[in-house]
Amino acid sequence: MTLAPTLALRGISKNFGMTAALTDMTLELFPGEVHAIAGENGAGKSTMIKIMTGIHQPSSGVLDVDGEPVVLNGSKAARMRGIAAIYQEPMVFPDLDVTENIFISATSGLFLNRPAMRRAAKELIARIGMTLDVDRIASGLSLAEQQAVEIARALSQDVRVLIMDEPTASLSAHEASELRRIARALADDGVSVVYISHRLEEVFQLANRVSVIRDGKHISTKLITETDPQTLIAEMVGREVGNYFTKMPSTATSETLLSVQSLSVDGVFEDISFDIKRGEILAMAGLIGARRTDVALALFGMLKTSAGAVTYKGQPLKVTSSRQAIDAGIAYVSEDRRKLGLAMALPIRWNISLATLQKYLTPLGLINTSAEIATAWDYKKKLNIRTPNTDIAVGNLSGGNQQKVMLAKWLNMAPDLLIVDEPTRGIDVGAKAEVHALIRAFTAAGGTALVISSDLPEVLALGDRILVMREGRQMAILNHADASQESIMALATGQKDAA
Amino acid sequence: MKHVLLGAAAAMMLTTANFAYADTIKLEPGKETNMVLLPKFLGILVFDQANEGAQEAHKELGNPGKLEFTGPTPENSTAGQIEIMTTAGTQKQGAVMLSNNAGDQIVPAAEAAQAAGTKVVTWDSPIPGGKGESVFVAQVDFGSIGTVMADMALNILGGKGQMAVLSATPDASNQNAWIESMKAALAADPKYKDIELVDVVYGDDQAEVSYNRALALVDKYPDLGLIMSPTTVGIQASAKAMQDEGLCDKVKVSGLGLPSEMVSYTMNGCAPEFALWDFRDLGYLTYFTAYGLATGQLKGEIGETFTAGRMGDYAIEADPGREGAKRILMGPFTVYNKDNVEAAAK
Amino acid sequence: MGLLSRLSPAALRILALLVVLAIVILFFASQIEGYLNGRLFNRISSSVAIMALIATGQTLVILTRNIDLSVGSVVGFSAFATGSIITNHPDLNPLLLLLYAALVGTGFGIINGLLVAYARVPSIIVTLATMALFRSFLVEYSNAKSITSDSLPAWLTDFPNLPVFSIGALEFRAGFTASLLVVILVHLCLTRLRPARALFAVGSNPEAADMAGIDAKRVVFAAFALSGLMAGLAGFMFLARFGNITVVAGLGFELKSVASSVVGGVNIFGGSGSVIGAFLGAILVDLLETSLVRWAVVSEFWREAILGALILLAVATDTILSRRLTKLRTKKSKEAAQ
Repeated sequence: MTLAPTLALRGISKNFGMTAALTDMTLELFPGEVHAIAGENGAGKSTMIKIMTGIHQPSSGVLDVDGEPVVLNGSKAARMRGIAAIYQEPMVFPDLDVTENIFISATSGLFLNRPAMRRAAKELIARIGMTLDVDRIASGLSLAEQQAVEIARALSQDVRVLIMDEPTASLSAHEASELRRIARALADDGVSVVYISHRLEEVFQLANRVSVIRDGKHISTKLITETDPQTLIAEMVGREVGNYFTKMPSTATSETLLSVQSLSVDGVFEDISFDIKRGEILAMAGLIGARRTDVALALFGMLKTSAGAVTYKGQPLKVTSSRQAIDAGIAYVSEDRRKLGLAMALPIRWNISLATLQKYLTPLGLINTSAEIATAWDYKKKLNIRTPNTDIAVGNLSGGNQQKVMLAKWLNMAPDLLIVDEPTRGIDVGAKAEVHALIRAFTAAGGTALVISSDLPEVLALGDRILVMREGRQMAILNHADASQESIMALATGQKDAA
Repeated sequence: MKHVLLGAAAAMMLTTANFAYADTIKLEPGKETNMVLLPKFLGILVFDQANEGAQEAHKELGNPGKLEFTGPTPENSTAGQIEIMTTAGTQKQGAVMLSNNAGDQIVPAAEAAQAAGTKVVTWDSPIPGGKGESVFVAQVDFGSIGTVMADMALNILGGKGQMAVLSATPDASNQNAWIESMKAALAADPKYKDIELVDVVYGDDQAEVSYNRALALVDKYPDLGLIMSPTTVGIQASAKAMQDEGLCDKVKVSGLGLPSEMVSYTMNGCAPEFALWDFRDLGYLTYFTAYGLATGQLKGEIGETFTAGRMGDYAIEADPGREGAKRILMGPFTVYNKDNVEAAAK
Repeated sequence: MGLLSRLSPAALRILALLVVLAIVILFFASQIEGYLNGRLFNRISSSVAIMALIATGQTLVILTRNIDLSVGSVVGFSAFATGSIITNHPDLNPLLLLLYAALVGTGFGIINGLLVAYARVPSIIVTLATMALFRSFLVEYSNAKSITSDSLPAWLTDFPNLPVFSIGALEFRAGFTASLLVVILVHLCLTRLRPARALFAVGSNPEAADMAGIDAKRVVFAAFALSGLMAGLAGFMFLARFGNITVVAGLGFELKSVASSVVGGVNIFGGSGSVIGAFLGAILVDLLETSLVRWAVVSEFWREAILGALILLAVATDTILSRRLTKLRTKKSKEAAQ
């Protein structure tokens, strides 16, 4: 192609403290193409988007717009250049109506011309082939409709580069195909569409070209016709599997602790069946949107099941609240430390005793602080939590140490079944190994673990068996010996059917 | 300023105060003691006038110590008074002169101050239960205020008509005592039999609330002839409301007010008569009392008599309104009307 | 399409408020003799003229997910400062005097705005502090003197009660009319001016507002400055109406203005609401207060408690009512679409 790229990244690096999120990234976007970006979670895709939309500034390297180097300081500057992004979770103003949402960033003119705005909003909505009442308040819109509003907003500002980050992850199949149609139509209009998706079939349906990034580095850029799913997966996961993650022998016993039969939650997941033996680690693999967390929440009593049965310790399990699940000896360690896991402003020891406070009450109902402190120190030593004392607010610890505190909190209740969701997200490799050792020690001591992870090396390092999910369905349960990153990825992306 | 002395009762009380006890103490000037004058809150004219009187006495007695005029801000009155009282105790002030706005909530702080050797002299508004208080310097006899208000009502209504009271807050102890004494006065003498007290409402001592309450009274009682407001904010707001709505011919206003604020309403007939005592004198007398107690020249016992400079002799006596408490009665009242209000307003 | 389906949700909210207002009036009319007349309108309208301005400013702040508790003190200071100027310079041009009141208020608003928007201190902390601080300024500035109505020029004290026009027995006085005009003007600005939309955006979704390139700091700053401006104008009105200004002027207005806004359907968590709603809210609160004084059934000691309960009831009724109306509207427009 001879024409200048609309947007180009030339040798862009981005460091956060000591961590390199992007290294020497190079990418060119041309008018009229849908350019897919493929990469594992944590490969650096979101950092790249933030640099393209002016939210982050590169540590080194140059951004070109129409062949001219530019500095994008802030999202406003990016939008002035016609660069906009929409996300899995749309950014709308819930109290404003569709018209107002579309024109919120408009800057020209002091007075609002409401009739003209409504007309323009209708045209924009029509242009992307949607039907939507432009007077509706955004809080009542579906996710797909909210995304349409965001796309219309971008169009109203003469968008030239539209970045779509996992736009279909939360959409139904029909809505997703609508969205892909819109993306194609925009590209045909001359917009450069950057399309980020874990759904490889989508990538192959829609994209003109695909770039793979891994560990913050550019791996390849190819025409879609020059590659195939197998190659793409190999490129995505192709790094050396770290020595940190060596699979240890299974400690599974013959006793079945939990048996799940055809469990379903309407509209979320269906027909999930598996057994876990006491002492076993079952890993659940899949992409974002595979609904693994929802299965966990259903077992933990926080999601109402619509069909199926669960047998636990030989008895039917019926839990309708997290309290009942905890009483039954089931612990759930959330993936979202900040929102659901820890009280960040409270001391470490308070967090550790939070779920098991009744163990620390004196006969008068007061908290026995010395016992509480003793427990906290015990875990500090066992889990190697790096902190001078246990009275420090959890929020002041590093991510890895926070994760350990969260595990300590749940291990302290001595659960029979420990469900851990993304146990090592966002923590460094050293801490990862420690967390893995902890989960193994737990199962070696007779505990049972269900580990949800999007990190394939982690899945392979921990899982005695691996359950792969895709879009709310169970694809397969692999024995560790039969599993590889490629085979899991192929199942998770739907390139290989359930065995 | 022309004083209209009130009835035989008040005059007799003065007489008793002056002659019942023989050994009148002359306070020795020049003794050093630090004192605090603590009003309900800062920024109100009458409290500043009290301060002027206290400063006058301070100079006259040649106290080498400090007289501090300090008070809370309006929105923080109760908590602020308690805080200042506590601080005064820890600073070992000789005396705190308090116009109490904190009800009995101030008692623990006042008792702590007393224990630390700080005398607590109240003025204008006492501590309701009398605990933690050395003595209360009463501006007038609370019982006689009732009679004065009843007389003004009789006079303005021409012997017959409906009257309503606009007070400050439902829990202001001095206001409630005055209203009760007016009710008692009305019931006691047959000459008041045609005066009907129809309602008591509260304006929170704020201009806009009082103003609206006054108008609501007029709407509620079509035959209302008089609004009696024993608070300087209430009487002014009522008079303004009647004037603004052109109701002055029908509904008159009376009560306790400041000449400088009421002069125009008295001259135009909206508030033909109202009463008040002199806050400078109150501050002056309070200072003499506190000085005497803080320097140990007064013991604060019932029966003690002392000379308060230009104001003459006063005695400590049992407070008839508060059991177990002691008071010094200042008096007299001034009733203002067309003849004297302009001179008083300066 | 029926009338219902053509009304916006905001308009439905106003409609619900008007219904509640009508219910309250009818109830008290059945309880109190000679209740419904032109006089009642005079009472409420004159009294609400001041609160309407303050509630308008408060609404602007609440829309951005903040709160301004210093408005009462600003009203007090502005009333006193304005009164003090005109007492010393009785020949001052009325417009200059009004401008002075506005400037004093805006100045205080700017202090709040700087602290909240740029120093990033939570607004409830900032304005709680400045409420006390501004009141202390007033105590200091007043030097324990009062402004009295006889030292004010006649044009000023006469202004609030000047009849402007009448509709039947309803007499519109200058104070109320001016205040109503300000409310309508602000309403038009809020709905028609492009920069005003940012106010809603920041309160509705701060993160998205940032992504949309809106300078949230400037928006919050402006809201506080405008709230100060409104409080300054209210101070002017306060002076004109009551004449006698002491250091307690405007005490308690902050909570009453928040109550008016919330009763008027302004979302306390920001993002939605209208000044017309806040205006009606102020009327409703005032109406309840005035009517309770006249209602012989309620004793003085219960009045505050009952007023609180009635305000809650009014909020609940109008929330349920407007939700019902919105549902009905959605149903109607769906039917129309089919």
